[in-house]
Amino acid sequence: VGERAREAAVRERNAAVRERQAPPVKRADGRGPPRLVEWLFACTLPSRDRAAVLGDLAEAFEEMASLPAGRRGAVGWYVRQLIGSIPSNVKRRLDGPRALSPRWRGLEALMTSFLQDLRVSLRSVRTAPSFAAVVVLTLGLGIGAVTVVFSAVDGLVLNPFPFPEADRLVGVGTEYPKLGGELSYWENLSPAEYVDVRESSRTLRDIVAWDMGNRQVTIGDRTENLFSGFWWGDAFPTLGMRPHVGRGFLADEIARGDRVAILSHRVWLNRFGGEAGLIGGRVLINGEPYTLIGVMPPRALIYGTDLWIPMPVGPEVYPRQRRQFQLLARLAPEATLASANAELETIARRVEASYGAAMEEYDGWRLVATPWTTINVQQLRPAAIALMGAVGFVLLLVCANVASLMLGRAAGRRRELAVRAALGAGRGRLVRQLLTESVALALVGGAVGVAIGYVGVRALGATLTSLPIPLPGDLALNVRVLLVAAGASVLAGIAFGTVPALHASRLNVQRMLQTESLGATAHAARLRLQRMFVGVEVALALMLLVGGGLLVHSFVRMQAVDRGLDASNVLTMRLTLAWERYDNDAIQAFFQRLEEQVAAIPGVTDATVATQFPPGVFLRQRFFIEGSAPQSDDMLPTAYTTIVSPGYFTTLGVRTVAGRTFDDTDVSGGRLVAVVNEAAARRYFGDGSPIGRRLRLGGAGSDDPWFEVVGVVGDTRNRGLDAAPEPELFASTRQVPGGNQFFLLARTSVPPLSILAGVREQVRAIDPEQPVYAIRTLDRAFADIAAARRVSTFMLTLFALFALALAGLGIYGVVAYAVSQRTREIGLRIALGAEHAAVRRLVVRQALVPVAIGAVVGLAGAIAGARLLSSLLFDIGPTDPATLAAVVALLVGIAWLASWLPARRAARLSPMNALRYERG
Amino acid sequence: MTRPERLGEFEQLVLLAVARLGDEGYGTTIRRELERRASRAVTVGALYATLERLEMKGLVRTREGEPTARRGGRAKRHYALTSAGVAALQDARSALDRMWEGLELPARGRRT
Repeated sequence: VGERAREAAVRERNAAVRERQAPPVKRADGRGPPRLVEWLFACTLPSRDRAAVLGDLAEAFEEMASLPAGRRGAVGWYVRQLIGSIPSNVKRRLDGPRALSPRWRGLEALMTSFLQDLRVSLRSVRTAPSFAAVVVLTLGLGIGAVTVVFSAVDGLVLNPFPFPEADRLVGVGTEYPKLGGELSYWENLSPAEYVDVRESSRTLRDIVAWDMGNRQVTIGDRTENLFSGFWWGDAFPTLGMRPHVGRGFLADEIARGDRVAILSHRVWLNRFGGEAGLIGGRVLINGEPYTLIGVMPPRALIYGTDLWIPMPVGPEVYPRQRRQFQLLARLAPEATLASANAELETIARRVEASYGAAMEEYDGWRLVATPWTTINVQQLRPAAIALMGAVGFVLLLVCANVASLMLGRAAGRRRELAVRAALGAGRGRLVRQLLTESVALALVGGAVGVAIGYVGVRALGATLTSLPIPLPGDLALNVRVLLVAAGASVLAGIAFGTVPALHASRLNVQRMLQTESLGATAHAARLRLQRMFVGVEVALALMLLVGGGLLVHSFVRMQAVDRGLDASNVLTMRLTLAWERYDNDAIQAFFQRLEEQVAAIPGVTDATVATQFPPGVFLRQRFFIEGSAPQSDDMLPTAYTTIVSPGYFTTLGVRTVAGRTFDDTDVSGGRLVAVVNEAAARRYFGDGSPIGRRLRLGGAGSDDPWFEVVGVVGDTRNRGLDAAPEPELFASTRQVPGGNQFFLLARTSVPPLSILAGVREQVRAIDPEQPVYAIRTLDRAFADIAAARRVSTFMLTLFALFALALAGLGIYGVVAYAVSQRTREIGLRIALGAEHAAVRRLVVRQALVPVAIGAVVGLAGAIAGARLLSSLLFDIGPTDPATLAAVVALLVGIAWLASWLPARRAARLSPMNALRYERG
Repeated sequence: MTRPERLGEFEQLVLLAVARLGDEGYGTTIRRELERRASRAVTVGALYATLERLEMKGLVRTREGEPTARRGGRAKRHYALTSAGVAALQDARSALDRMWEGLELPARGRRT
């Protein structure tokens, strides 16, 4: 009774302690024990003891740190404490005060026998360190690959955003069947449409709309260009986040368009020194004073915008067709995605009924709510699936390879196992022992893998962030990734341990103890299993090679695509002039002067400005061709519309197909002229020549001025290398305003980046406060647009080559073993007059049988599975014969080499030695 | 009262350390006392395992102290002997004393 009561008292105390555990007080000086070690220690402790033990340790740590050995010595001591305490902590954690119940006693017995198995495992690893090293390293590479890929998939596709309940955060897309019917989530809504949704939706709440652009922010004496968001509404409640410091926009501030600003965490930290005192202070934005009211939380929130300000005017100011806004909202508590979409559909129909007569594009238009995560990750999803599949295959292959190695190792341990069996260990116990061993090895391999993964994730993260593509999230070894790595390790340990364990535990104890050698049947059984593993390895490797090969082939083909321009030796950069200081005439004067001065820099052969350039052309407009009957069921003509200075086509090396391009005779106030590309000529002007025809921007009802088409130019890959050239219209900066943002493009006869300093000097000469940004070469722009493809191609190829190496090693190991088993037979053959070549052929032929079977299976699997890759392929099918042939040839070549090496050794045997050879 | 618990050697050392420290007995001081007097370097994990066992046997009782900044805001857990603990220590001592009575051992470190 006393025992029970005491137990109850202890339990009560523990509960009380748990309750009282306050969140840890922030350390004032940050000089306590290293966080990571402390955290690890906490993980091993039963929760009832955490506070007391960690407190003791922290206290002792302080004392140690004040000794001569200092902090370093104290850290060492702490780590030793951690390692030394693990066994008792873990044991206590597992049984705790519950140890008294029979169920837990059973578990404890199991635990004890597990610990025993583990000790035996450690001993057996110590006797064969090189075997263990090979296994651990192979597994480490496999788990490392899993870690890298999963952390990328987790950070970029599964959990890219820090927003709570991210699946209820939605963007609203639009689809205009009359304009091409593409569902778009980007610059897709007009202010009036935003108001339509905001005013009538009950299923969405915290609806905000925003536009993006560039602003010059002056901090001290330095002016920076910041990518900025301009908001109607406070985005923080929508995102479910809070400002890091300060506050979000108030409703009044939005309504009045107040001059208040919110900065990103990184800008605040790096350029403002992260001082909270700056909140409430002033910053200059495009030269105008603003009050800084808040800082965003540390992670990038919306497309890497670094500055948020309210829209200076209300939505009612804009025409209904100015679609340059995005919309973000949260599903209301009762709403589902389906109910929100049903409601949006009724809103769309109501808008169509009201405005459809005047605006044809509303005919059949749709509003679609889609989870924000889906919108932002869907283009990454195919690559993510492909890479996850690939890395799964790599891990399976690693398992097959290690299983084959384990079979070999188990053979050497049969006497040991026989002794155990003779001393009373049942088969189950032996299997458990062997499995414990393989899982332990796998976990060590997993630890190595996480270390490899850590390096890999950092490398991949650095690669990805250096790309200009906006990444939704970032890469880190978080708890989910570590769990996956640990889970993969345990599964791998079971996967590669089971077959060898079953095989090795099938013992004839008596005979094993009597004779030194294994029976021939055991050898045959082992060889059969190992050949099976070879077949599996070959099949897996082939599938990976096909995947990698298809991607590489696609990539090569893509690089060979005719871009329609000469991308080498062109430097590009962007300038945004502030409307506060420049009007349209001043902008035109600025860029005309800049173009002339840059062209005069030594090493520059041509210079031009344009609102956009290939491969990143994105500004699109409706237009109307004179004399074409507006048919209501036709798609309305749209084209990418680019305002360029006259030197654009010569600077980029775009062909003139017919007529002329712009020159200095095209002046403001004169006859307006336009140039179209071949794609536009083909699609919209039919068989006749477009030259001399007139077109007008905007819808059929627009009263904008007419442009006369004076020339046709060749197509460029204006939407990227993997998209067909899109129709594009050009107008001249000398005749029409192109807004306040232009790219400067300069062709050079020297390395393009070497003229950058000169260009900056010319910009400063015109306007000392004007920043330039988005600086890169045209070659780089083409490379960047294929960057995601390049990264996944590179990774898949890496996995395929690793798989090939593993398969080669596997084949080599099995053939070498087979040869060693047949040494006497081979010696006899040679003694009886067999040619060396015949012996080699014999060995190689036998070795290649499982390779051939594996290759056939793998090829079938690859053909079935390659369809998953189709969306990543370019210009080739998933069963591209050239790729398949090349890959099979490569694999067979490696397999032949891997079996030829041991075969050659066999053929060189001296018959005398061979016949004396004792089989082990 | 039930029969006093039998004590292992390490348990005895820990109980003695707790007894010596009086009000000042908690993880760090107990560990230090064992290290200084008995030359026993012991990990925190092992010490707490023993203390918990002693508590389960009813030989020590605990009391939560106040958190301090030096300990990263965590509370101390003070240990003190219960009367059963005192009895167990006395039993152990008298058993040892009886065994030692009149005994002379050969010199230490002899090799055969």
